[in-house]
Amino acid sequence: MAGIADPDEDLVRRVGRGDPAAVQAMVARKLPRLLSLASRMLGDAAEAEDVAQEAMLKAWRQAPRWTFGKARFDTWLHRVALNLCYDRLRRRREVVTDAVPDRADEGAAPDRGLLAADVGARVDRALQALPERQREAVVLCHYQELGNIEAAGLMGISVEALESLLSRGRRALRQALADIRPGAEGAG
Amino acid sequence: MTPERFAAILDAYGADPRRWPDAEREAARAMASARADALAEADALDAWLDHAPRPVPSEALRQRVIAAVGAVGRRGRLWWDRLTVTVGVGWAAAACAGVVAGVGLTRQLAAEATADAVLYQASLGLDEGLIG
Repeated sequence: MAGIADPDEDLVRRVGRGDPAAVQAMVARKLPRLLSLASRMLGDAAEAEDVAQEAMLKAWRQAPRWTFGKARFDTWLHRVALNLCYDRLRRRREVVTDAVPDRADEGAAPDRGLLAADVGARVDRALQALPERQREAVVLCHYQELGNIEAAGLMGISVEALESLLSRGRRALRQALADIRPGAEGAG
Repeated sequence: MTPERFAAILDAYGADPRRWPDAEREAARAMASARADALAEADALDAWLDHAPRPVPSEALRQRVIAAVGAVGRRGRLWWDRLTVTVGVGWAAAACAGVVAGVGLTRQLAAEATADAVLYQASLGLDEGLIG
């Protein structure tokens, strides 16, 4: 059947047949991607692990009845994980009604060198400070390395709308990180 | 490709051509050398973004996921086994009921046949006695 080629097809078929080695391979291939996605969307390691685990279970249940050619399994899996992330973000909003902390980055003293880990933490905080849809666009395209058509489809928006979210997100990140001098990491 | 479109691609996707739209990648590559400043600016932001922590699943998480998948699998198999047993027991019960009913019916028919034969024999004897 002519359709969307799926690099995971063989693996998904084997998982669907209950092949234990394929389950291991699926975990090795997808768990890091799911954990990365959930960590960057949620900014919380424990919640990200829960989301990654739940998404993996859904993948296992879906594999036997997956229809190839309509969508890539990885794209579907991203959608599942994103839905789980948004459920948790929604719950957070319900719990913390007002008094949402202003997540503006406190920055660093310009004359102080930063360790690479400090830079990483700054970038992570800046990412978490983005509006959710901008963060989702940046995470999908930059960190998850999805193509623009795939990412836009996942988000249910046009490619033009995706580009707008990406541009605004990257601009905000550039401003948030503007005080970090190139090469500053490792100097502290 | 216009310079404006090239700038828009850098703004949205950054400096790495692998992230650029498939249909525009080659045209954008051709323009890149003439727009080195814009490319360098986008590249600097990409480099910062790549400093973000890269989460790696712990062995504990990996084992937890595999165990959870296994547990779901066992529950699925248990459900199937139970279904199989239930259906099997049902069929066995139906078969037993059939056998019991069949045996009962056979016995009843046999008894009725015996009774008929006795009555027939008796009637013959009666007839013979009457004749004799």
